[in-house]
Amino acid sequence: MANIEVKGLTKIYNKKIVLDDLNFTVKDGEFLSILGPSGCGKTTLLKILIGIEKCDKGSIHKGTRNITNVDPAKRGMGMVFQNYALFPNMTVLENVMYALKLKLKNKKNARERSLEMLKLVNMEEHINKYPHQLSGGQQQRVAIVRTLALKPDIILFDEPMSALDADNRLGLRKTIKELQKQFNTTMIYITHDQEEAFSMSDRVMVMKDGKIEQIDTPNKIYNHPANTYVKNFVTKHLRDKVSSIEKCTGIDL
Amino acid sequence: MKKRSYLNYFIFAFLAVTVFYPLAVMVSKVSWENFNSLVASNAFKDALSNSLFVTSISTIISIIIAYLLALTINRANIKHKTIIKVLITLPMLIPSISHGLGLINLFGNNGIISSHFNFNVIGPVGIIIGSIVYSFPVAFLMLDDGFNYIDNSMYYNAKILGMNKFQTFKNVTFCYMKKPIFSSIFAVFTMIFTDYGVPLAVGGTFITLPVFLYKEVIGLLDFSKGTMIGLFLLIPALVSFLFDTFSKDFAKNDGADDSEMKIENKYVRILLKTFMVIIILMLFVLIGSFVYYAFVDNPILNKTFSLSHLEYIIGDDFFAYFGNSIFISIFVSIIGTTIAYFTAYVTARRKSKLTKIVHILSISTLAVPGIVLGLSFTVAFKTSFIYNTFIILILVNIIHFFASPYLIAYNALQKVNENFEIVGKTFNISTFKIIKDVIIPCTKKTIREMFSYFFINSMITISAVSFLFSTNTMPVSLLINVYEDNLMLGEAAFVSLFILLCNVLMKFIMYLLNVIDRRRYKYGTNI
Repeated sequence: MANIEVKGLTKIYNKKIVLDDLNFTVKDGEFLSILGPSGCGKTTLLKILIGIEKCDKGSIHKGTRNITNVDPAKRGMGMVFQNYALFPNMTVLENVMYALKLKLKNKKNARERSLEMLKLVNMEEHINKYPHQLSGGQQQRVAIVRTLALKPDIILFDEPMSALDADNRLGLRKTIKELQKQFNTTMIYITHDQEEAFSMSDRVMVMKDGKIEQIDTPNKIYNHPANTYVKNFVTKHLRDKVSSIEKCTGIDL
Repeated sequence: MKKRSYLNYFIFAFLAVTVFYPLAVMVSKVSWENFNSLVASNAFKDALSNSLFVTSISTIISIIIAYLLALTINRANIKHKTIIKVLITLPMLIPSISHGLGLINLFGNNGIISSHFNFNVIGPVGIIIGSIVYSFPVAFLMLDDGFNYIDNSMYYNAKILGMNKFQTFKNVTFCYMKKPIFSSIFAVFTMIFTDYGVPLAVGGTFITLPVFLYKEVIGLLDFSKGTMIGLFLLIPALVSFLFDTFSKDFAKNDGADDSEMKIENKYVRILLKTFMVIIILMLFVLIGSFVYYAFVDNPILNKTFSLSHLEYIIGDDFFAYFGNSIFISIFVSIIGTTIAYFTAYVTARRKSKLTKIVHILSISTLAVPGIVLGLSFTVAFKTSFIYNTFIILILVNIIHFFASPYLIAYNALQKVNENFEIVGKTFNISTFKIIKDVIIPCTKKTIREMFSYFFINSMITISAVSFLFSTNTMPVSLLINVYEDNLMLGEAAFVSLFILLCNVLMKFIMYLLNVIDRRRYKYGTNI
């Protein structure tokens, strides 16, 4: 039902090709990470998928429906941002209830559902706080359930953890995976962090200069990289770790 | 996509009709053959050199005072900064003509102080003092803001590098303060150069360029000559505008150190504080003189308490004029804030080539002095149905004061999270509803600031409206001029006090609303 099929997707900015003939599918309930250095076109791809930017060529299908030119609100997708985008003038509960109230047309049901959702991410104690009173990790949890509460078929994540510290990241990774299992939501996750992509995803898509270099399971990408670029990119964090150990210990690994 | 273009075109058209059309009409009606004879005339040469003379001296002193005050506030370990800032900026709440009036009360021919010493300040000295009082609070606000942008960790770096005090000033303080200092010099110069309130009140026979213009237009109805003089008044404003638009700004990084800095030498701190107290006391004396003149029957002959001045102005229909001003100011505030806010919304959050042009147009209103704007409206709309109505007064004030509130909103809206509208879109909530439910509540403080800026300035302005009022629409600030001309200083003082009170009340209401909000949102949301 929520299979995504992208065909020949191309985007050109000022005569520069930003996305070059992308073809891929995302299966229902799958967790796909899009991995690449900054400037490789992954955020542009996300914007086109959610519908806030138009592509120059190609099409996007959701199931059998062509959604290439469909309004963002009618795509059944939700989005989670790097800077949380929680409404600062509303409490945690009000943030989650805001869109739900309009969707369910019933304030009481919206409230109950919001409370349930907040409980899932252990935020029930904080429902009356304002976003600025929460830590980054807590804010992102609220932002995720705010999106999830509307039951989208697909959630897009735009580097949701790059503003968080290491401890918060580990916790949030677990939360996102658990929520995905529970709701069986398709998730497309943008990151430049190899470790994050490999530990969370069913499949990883490696991008460079607006092109797909490889799309496969973490295992296969790791063991059979399609080319030297992918090999270097996906093993970068390992090599970084090795060299820092070498520097600290003076032992040549 | 379409909606936002419409808004762009609407704003574009609005500014074109209200700013550029009147200016173009004004310039097109000038008979240029008289230009040479005007420039060669002694009256013009005198007025120009008088203006340059008093403006230069006042600007230098005004900036020095403002810089020292900003330094004191930021570097002398001061408590109760908010209240002190309010006191320092009190002169911004009364018309410029009142500053001249205050000086006459104190140092005029029979002033409270001068009558004991047999001297007076009528003439250039009076204009200089009045202009300083009128302009230094504006420079102070700009420089105080500049100090806030200094990354204080640079001072520690300077220390580590072994710089002496002069080197530190040159390489750190001046590096950050360059732009605010030059901006404030240009702004103050323009303010004083184009103001006719102070010189009209205390200038006596010493005629400055704006007074010359005013007399040509009001007295002799010579619009052509008035326009030619007006063009000269545009020059410094234009230079100031170009400087501000094209000079680079030092933006502070997020990680910058903004801890409290202190001048190490205790005696310098005490000196600065003393200076600040003296300035504030002088402002009190000036405002005190209004109270004295307003409530004393005759300040020279019988110094008894009396309400005769109040009775006189009430009999003179004071409250009708006061009502006019309140009516105009409220409409200017509501309409002006709305237009400026939505313009800023489009230019700050919907960037495109067209919005860049709209942005430049919006701030270009800064470059048109009130007296020139007023003149251009008179020439352009004399035969239209809005002439002699409240509409033209409201319109001219909106344009005259548009740039500052617009910029306040522009800066605030740029800081609001750029993803709110996208969140709305994915939630199936219209951008309009997101603006109403999220963006406006997040910028309430900014909106209040814009509202009170429009209100206060519309209450005190005389320059833009002086050619445009009719007997039914006359704003109360112009009454000061009328009373002063007739040597009714007590009455003029009363009017000034009423305006001051009204503006203080406006500030206080906004302050209270901000406090209530801060409590509600548990200290933090407002941008």
